[in-house]
Amino acid sequence: MNFFDNLALGFGVAVTPMNLVLAFIGVFLGTIIGVLPGIGPMTGIALLIPITFGLEPTSAIILMAGIYYGAMYGGSTTSILVNAPGESSSVVTCFDGYQMAKKGRAGPALAAAAIGSFIAGTFATLVLMLVGPAVAAFALNFGPPEYFSLMFAGLTVVTSLAGRSLVKALLSTTIGLAIATIGIDLQSGVPRYTFRNPELLDGLEFLVVAIGLFALSEVIVNLCNMNQAVQERLEIKGGLWMSKEDWKRSIPAFTRGTLSGFFVGGIAGAGAAVASFVSYGLEKKMCKYKDELGQGAIEGVAAPEAANNAAAGGAMIHLLCLGIPGSGTTAIMLGALLMIGLQPGPLLFVQNPQFVWGLIASMYIGNVMLLVLNLPLVGMWVKILDIPLYLLMVFIILFSFLGVYTMNNSVQDLFLMVGFGVIGYFLRRLDIPAAPIILGMVLGDLMEQAMRQSLMISDGSLAIFVTRPISLFLLLLAVISITNPYWKYIGIGWRKLFGRSAAA
Amino acid sequence: MFDKKVVLFALFALIVIVAACAPAPTATPVPTVAPKPTEASKPTVAPTAAAAKPTDAPKPTEAPKPTTAPTVATGLVPATKGGYPNKALEIVAPAGAGGGWDTLARTVQRSLETEKLYPQPTTVVNKVGGGGGVGLAYIFTKKADDYELVVYSPPLIINTLNKTFENDYKELTPLAKLITDYQVILVKADSPYKTMGDLMAALKKDPGAVKFAGASSPGSMDHLAIAKLAKNAGIDPGKMSYIAFNDVGSGLTALLGGNVGFMSTGVGEAIPQVEAKTVRALGVSSAERRGGVMKDVPTWKESGWNVTYEVWRGIFGAPGMSADAKAWWGETLKRMSATKTWKDSLDKLQWVDAYADGDSFAKFLDEEFQSYKVLMTDTGFIK
Repeated sequence: MNFFDNLALGFGVAVTPMNLVLAFIGVFLGTIIGVLPGIGPMTGIALLIPITFGLEPTSAIILMAGIYYGAMYGGSTTSILVNAPGESSSVVTCFDGYQMAKKGRAGPALAAAAIGSFIAGTFATLVLMLVGPAVAAFALNFGPPEYFSLMFAGLTVVTSLAGRSLVKALLSTTIGLAIATIGIDLQSGVPRYTFRNPELLDGLEFLVVAIGLFALSEVIVNLCNMNQAVQERLEIKGGLWMSKEDWKRSIPAFTRGTLSGFFVGGIAGAGAAVASFVSYGLEKKMCKYKDELGQGAIEGVAAPEAANNAAAGGAMIHLLCLGIPGSGTTAIMLGALLMIGLQPGPLLFVQNPQFVWGLIASMYIGNVMLLVLNLPLVGMWVKILDIPLYLLMVFIILFSFLGVYTMNNSVQDLFLMVGFGVIGYFLRRLDIPAAPIILGMVLGDLMEQAMRQSLMISDGSLAIFVTRPISLFLLLLAVISITNPYWKYIGIGWRKLFGRSAAA
Repeated sequence: MFDKKVVLFALFALIVIVAACAPAPTATPVPTVAPKPTEASKPTVAPTAAAAKPTDAPKPTEAPKPTTAPTVATGLVPATKGGYPNKALEIVAPAGAGGGWDTLARTVQRSLETEKLYPQPTTVVNKVGGGGGVGLAYIFTKKADDYELVVYSPPLIINTLNKTFENDYKELTPLAKLITDYQVILVKADSPYKTMGDLMAALKKDPGAVKFAGASSPGSMDHLAIAKLAKNAGIDPGKMSYIAFNDVGSGLTALLGGNVGFMSTGVGEAIPQVEAKTVRALGVSSAERRGGVMKDVPTWKESGWNVTYEVWRGIFGAPGMSADAKAWWGETLKRMSATKTWKDSLDKLQWVDAYADGDSFAKFLDEEFQSYKVLMTDTGFIK
């Protein structure tokens, strides 16, 4: 069967009324799940598994994939509106998204997030369809050493998050790396910094820290400016929709975000959160308006939102072509597939073509549905900002507590979140950026494990990082990324040197 | 002004929707009603669907009241003197949604409901963290509560021995051993090791030469299973090179990418890859050969090493459960393990039925405790 026959087969399966309804329910639920901090796509899908028992396998996966993508779309909404990330992968969206909202440009930010997600989702689906198995085979080249080098390169993003002082950013990164060491150490089984508290054995939840540092500290800041804040509101300025200028600036960012996100999060399997950080760093290096990033540049929303969706699509390639889950959410989906009697893996394309192509077709349909669902919602969401600030702050508190508690049903998490809220406030007063803490947390644990796994594989030799080509390439990329602001000085120095020697 | 109210109302509505669609993993007691006979044809859809589909399912408050259920269930439920059970049941899954413990807890819940074995509402609550320690601490706050159950597997014993847990699991009330899984040794399809013999010979020559992967930290199941095997074969487990990965997926990626020599994992996790022939299963830790895809895979015993390793899963009552309740559950779980819902779920999940009643389970746990104590002392995980 050729490609178009396959696609026709797929659409034939996906465009039944039942499957369309399920795809819609999936993306709708996913959007809600994404908007709420705490309930991630993982929990959402796990809870739906019992329902899928009564469904056809294809219908079941269509529902689950809808939730997965919906959550990726919805996660950005609260990041932009109230500085409280709905998912770990949309923490980065807070940086510029919330600044845009503060400037009255929440509408274009939300639109850019939705469109970026659409483009990236469609791209990932196309790649899955055209060259999925080849990409999957390449992905197997990423072992622990490559993983470490990728994380190392990711860590250089900190220079992009620095703001005014690189030293303060580095300080903040180290705090993040230190937080990442809390919990049972995977390689030795020894608990670190847990103080015999069982809830700390799994480490600190990433969203607990992020919501504390971003959302709650914002509330405290406003509390301190009570007199001004009372009647203030975040007015909407300009149009709700993206202007021509916005489009012009977003399209390159979409492209870069999609590609980098697909590579980092999808192929290499580093996850959507890391992918969004890397794409942000890339913007800081490559986009024309890099100085505006961090103060509400549309690229800072467009790129990471594209990246996290491309990463989610990439994870589906791992799941379908290798039968290896590339993310926590796809791991749950794998479990569900087994339960409904399907074996994901290389054989799936051959044994169940109607399933695979039906899913692929539904991924297109789901992405379109999400776009249609999300763009009109922009008008509704921005109305939230019409609430006077003092009420909005109450809402943020409510939202943060609800979300963090739902995550693990843990009261301790609430205390931790409040603690990080206070820490976040002081960091702001000291002008220390909070974002590198999150970067350190995201990368720290993975990086440490990957490094120690690599060293065990190589019997302790560091050479393993430079003798493997992909790893070497990534390390070089990291070096370039750190040093490129200084290249111009090398050039100047060279000319001076030459100038003198020529004169002498 | 009007606009503002509308928005506030919308926010409120949103929160209500959230509360309606989130509760299954939380403690919120959604009345999960025993399905009416007419719904029996699609039993699995009914209860949890109400919780997860705010769009088209009735809100929890609109669901039929649980008091209607006992009439349906009369005659099916064993009666007790004390009128047990007359309250809602909570099953604790000591890990997050989607994991093995959670799946077991929810499968038990669904079987009890579908087969109308429990006349009152049932919920599953996830207590996440500490390798199950958070769940254990939680159930210890429910002493003598006859309406609290919890599911566990070997980490209950392992984490007690290595002192991760603060509470002594022996105070729990073992109700039944339900299912079991086994460990399997996987190598890449083009690996030079064709049989268990090849691999063990290489390990004997140099225990550290062949690195192996597992999906949990050293001294937990994936590692201990191989340590047990190695010890039997006269190989020093301490000299072997175990590399821990976050999850089965990253371990498999490392195996398929040729970064490790072999992998130790559960049969359930291995089946998809074995079927696709991307990996070769060298040996399985069960006493007898497994069926299906694994039917050609010899046991460790057959290959000449007299070792078995079992990953059991069972269900417990809270510490100090009353004798009445214990007897009631002994009877009920036995019935449940024979129901169609339960057996079908086992098939789908590729779990092996290993039902044993409370007393034999308790005895089994004591044996397990002793054997882990010896194994973990010999391998240096406890001093």
